[in-house]
Amino acid sequence: MTEFPKTADVVVIGGGGVGVATAYYLAKAGRKNVVVLEKNTVCSGSTGRCGAGIRAQWGLELNCRMALACLDTFEHLDEELGLPTGLNQGGYLLVAYKEKEWAQFQKNVELQHSLGIMSEAFTDVKRAQEICPGVAVDDAIGFTFYARDGHADPFLTTFAFQEAAKRYGVKFCKFTEVTGMKVVNGQVKAVETNRGTIECSDVINCAGSWAQDVAKLAGVELPNWAERHQILITEPVDPGVCPPMLMSFSGNYYIQQRPHGSIIAGESPTSDVRLGYTSNVNSVASIARTILKILPRAKNIRVVRQWAGHYDMTPDSAPILGETDVKHFWHATGFSGHGFMLAPVAGQIMAALLTGGKPPFDPTIMDYHRFERGERIVEPNVV
Amino acid sequence: MELIAKHPVLDYKHGREVTFTFDGAEMKGFEGEPIAMALHANGVKVYRVTPEMKRTRGFFCAIGKCSSCFMVVDGVPNVRTCVTPLAEGMKVETQKDKGRVPLDVD
Repeated sequence: MTEFPKTADVVVIGGGGVGVATAYYLAKAGRKNVVVLEKNTVCSGSTGRCGAGIRAQWGLELNCRMALACLDTFEHLDEELGLPTGLNQGGYLLVAYKEKEWAQFQKNVELQHSLGIMSEAFTDVKRAQEICPGVAVDDAIGFTFYARDGHADPFLTTFAFQEAAKRYGVKFCKFTEVTGMKVVNGQVKAVETNRGTIECSDVINCAGSWAQDVAKLAGVELPNWAERHQILITEPVDPGVCPPMLMSFSGNYYIQQRPHGSIIAGESPTSDVRLGYTSNVNSVASIARTILKILPRAKNIRVVRQWAGHYDMTPDSAPILGETDVKHFWHATGFSGHGFMLAPVAGQIMAALLTGGKPPFDPTIMDYHRFERGERIVEPNVV
Repeated sequence: MELIAKHPVLDYKHGREVTFTFDGAEMKGFEGEPIAMALHANGVKVYRVTPEMKRTRGFFCAIGKCSSCFMVVDGVPNVRTCVTPLAEGMKVETQKDKGRVPLDVD
């Protein structure tokens, strides 16, 4: 274990996709002595448990722009970081089963086109089967597809960000749990951990599903909560079983095939479940039934593992970015199930905010006080 | 067939003799005994070829854990032949890829 630092310029709390990317972009932008605190291991939380999708098909201009910036970043990330991220651009095939949903999809596509996201909307099942051979979606009303969407490997990506961050001098303290925050005159001064106290100029809370607890240590109340989602993976088979990321909001599923050949599929919870990684056999059955309905050809493929992960939810399913009432205490949390895909742009925004640069997107709207003011960032395209 | 006729400790009875094919060749084995065992008894030692390095694999853990004996059985890939019982008329094939998933299903 590395020697525990007594001082830091910036402390990043959380070693998931958002935390590690934030540390990388901060160090790249010139902040010296950035330290990442992770209570377990890097990628051990939501990032390492996620469905790994990356899409630009959103229904809100801000989200479209941010996700498109992430796609642009991901397309050159291997080169920039010097390690592979496992990017696989097989597109996202979104499936609408309800009239209202299909009407929304068509509006979304119009918006996406105006932003340079050349997605495609269609009703022909044959076209869907060209994109995903054997897909059984006769009961669907319409589809949208964007070929640049896809998925990456969360472990490879986070590891690549970590190694590149280390080259810029970022220190990673694993198995280090934040236990307190020293706030003097409304300004954060130090972070207390189970391994000692670090004095610092800035603190960024990237603790995902634990962000609310971390914020409380500095007296900041966040409206976040953790929502448990179930997911499974099959044995590897030859590629081509599910070339795109297949996803439906009304159908409550996403299915994708890793480049290695394993199929990953998941669903959103139908009841209220919170923090905790308990998985259950009902989820295996329920997700497997969905795969069989949508991709009948997958019937002889065996499930090898099932697990749970968290969505770090906010009341409007949009992130919380920016400084809090406690000066120099920042947040990049509440990604509501999209932290992995938005990690690069979240890191770029945070780095700009903390180095006096111009953020690629104005994060003012993502301020955490928006909920008290009764404002919402309403995104129609979320699972 | 290379099988022990009499086990020194266990009292053992074979199932009825059945016919199956291995890569098209007709073979005989005992119903209910592991496919891998029937193949071994017929002198077949290579069950699959690894998809990337093209290395041969055969009988290894014999308890359904190691993935060494994956074969295509009746068109289904990745069957653990060391723990799957042999049945009359089974079509057993050497697996040379990760497992083809046909487009058409019944």
